[in-house]
Parts: sequence; C-alpha cells; structure tokens
Amino acid sequence: MRSLQDSTSYGGVGISSVAPPPRLRPRHSRVIVAEVEPSEKSVEIMRKFSEQYARKSGTYFCVDKGVTSVVIKGLADHKDSLGAPLCPCRHYDDKAAEAGQGFWNCPCVPMRERKECHCMLFLTPDNDFAGQEQTISLEDIRESTANM
Amino acid sequence: MAISIAAAAIQPLSWDNITCSSTSSSKLSQLSCRQFPRHLGRIQIGSNGLSSRSRRRILPPVEAKKQTFSSFDELLATSDKPVLVDFYATWCGPCQFMAPVLNEVSAAMIDKIQVVKIDTEKYPSIADKYKIEALPTFIIFKDGEPYDRFEGALTANQLIERIESALKVKQ
Repeated sequence: MRSLQDSTSYGGVGISSVAPPPRLRPRHSRVIVAEVEPSEKSVEIMRKFSEQYARKSGTYFCVDKGVTSVVIKGLADHKDSLGAPLCPCRHYDDKAAEAGQGFWNCPCVPMRERKECHCMLFLTPDNDFAGQEQTISLEDIRESTANM
Repeated sequence: MAISIAAAAIQPLSWDNITCSSTSSSKLSQLSCRQFPRHLGRIQIGSNGLSSRSRRRILPPVEAKKQTFSSFDELLATSDKPVLVDFYATWCGPCQFMAPVLNEVSAAMIDKIQVVKIDTEKYPSIADKYKIEALPTFIIFKDGEPYDRFEGALTANQLIERIESALKVKQ
C-alpha cells in the first residue's frame, strides 16, 4: 500500500514510467491508496452477502459481471481497511467517519429504502444493465478482475 | 516541477490518462507547484506505464505526444479544446466499465475534446474542490470552468451525445 502523501515513487521530472515497488499496508490510520488486493476472506464474505441480498431484494447483477466483481472487491477492500463495507463508488472526506456513521455502508440507505444502487451491484429488473442472475462465483470474480 | 502528459495522437483506442497531484493544503487557489513540496506537486498524464496503476493492468500501446504541465489547473487553462474529466476510483465498478467507453469516445472525438481521468483516491483535494460525491462523475470543462456535469455510467453513444450537446451550445 502506498500512502496518499507519498508520491516520491513517481520519480523525477519527465520520468513517468517508473512503477513504485509494492509496499506493505501501513498499520496506522492514514488514508491508503489501494494497490493490493482485498483479502480472499473478505471477498468471499462480500460475495455471499451480495448473492443473498440480491435474492432478498429481488434485484439482479449487471450483465457485465466485471462491474459486479469490481464492486464486490471494493466492498471487501473497505471491509479490510475500515472494518465496514463502505460503498466503493463514492468519494468521501473522511472514510473512517463515514464507515462509523453507516449511511453508506452496504447495503446503503438509498438501496434499503429505494433499491437505488449506483454501483450497479444490485439492479432492479427494469434497469437496462440488469442481467438475469443473482449468483456470482469466486472464479467469475477472479477472472473479471485478473488484470487489475 | 514538470509533469509529463501524453495526449492521444490519432490512434484507435488511445486515450488520455491523467493522475493529478494533490496540493499540500485543501485550498486549491494556489496551484503553483514550485511552492509545494516536490513530491506533492506533480501531475503525470499518459498511459502505458505512466500511470502508477499500469504495472497491474495491461494497457494498449499509445503513441503519445508529451507535453509538460505543472498542475491540473494549468492543463485546464492551456487546453485548446474542452476537457472531459472522469473522476473515478479503483474499486468502483461503473468507473471500470467506463474505461473502454472513454477510449472509444476519446478516439472518436479526438479533435473536439480532450479526455482525462482523475483517481479520486490519489488526488482527493481535486475531488473535494469540485465536490465530487458519486463515482463516476464526469465534468466537461470549457475555458477552464466546469460547464456540464453528470454522474453514472453510460454507453459510448450516450456519452458522445452528451458531449456534443454540451459543445454545440458554445458555438
């Protein structure tokens, strides 16, 4: 993980193709830019949650399973870093505060109240992007996000 | 400090990718990067190895024309075309969905608009400045000022239509 404040790995003027070396996730609570994968355990938890919640809410996954996979990983990533699955499709001033507050923890209030999921994770059947499935396998997730 | 930008040349599926630096303060009114610590004042634009995320993804090779800017504001100020900015995040599904769409639109409208992308997690101060909330958010800048703004994923045709109607009004 690389902290937001640290961009010395970009190198000097004009050198723009240097890739920073991978770093361990810092243990203190600075804002962290995700450059590593979420834990497999969290991905599995969020995958199961997504399947259950889609069934329960009568919503469907996106025709493009890549979208579903990325969001599930995003939820897993926040669960790892913040302790709660904060919506990955939003920009926040203070992620930790938001995760504590809960409005945007998945399933977020807009989803629970109005079935509105702008992450395109849970889609009502009338949505243009809605597929027919309420299941997604770990293999699907791995394959769709292999190049990330 | 100098920043390298790769503007897409005439190339199918080419696109501009900008990762902008955040300034050390939340006030973005001063963006002269000479005043800020070096490691905070750099913008890098381009693809295929120029993005810090490129080591984890395979990008199509792009014929890049390199230019130098010292800030996102400077890019906006010196651009001769309107600029479409995509505010995104790594793990935002719809944002990733838009990546190939932006490639396509950028190539199709190369003479009319410049496409840049900003990772809101790397550059939160720029995202804060423009009050970005939902991702993806797209802002079309004309003459350096936000002109049109919309959220959410859309198809290439929808995006082209939206850009064209925004640009049409100018003339």
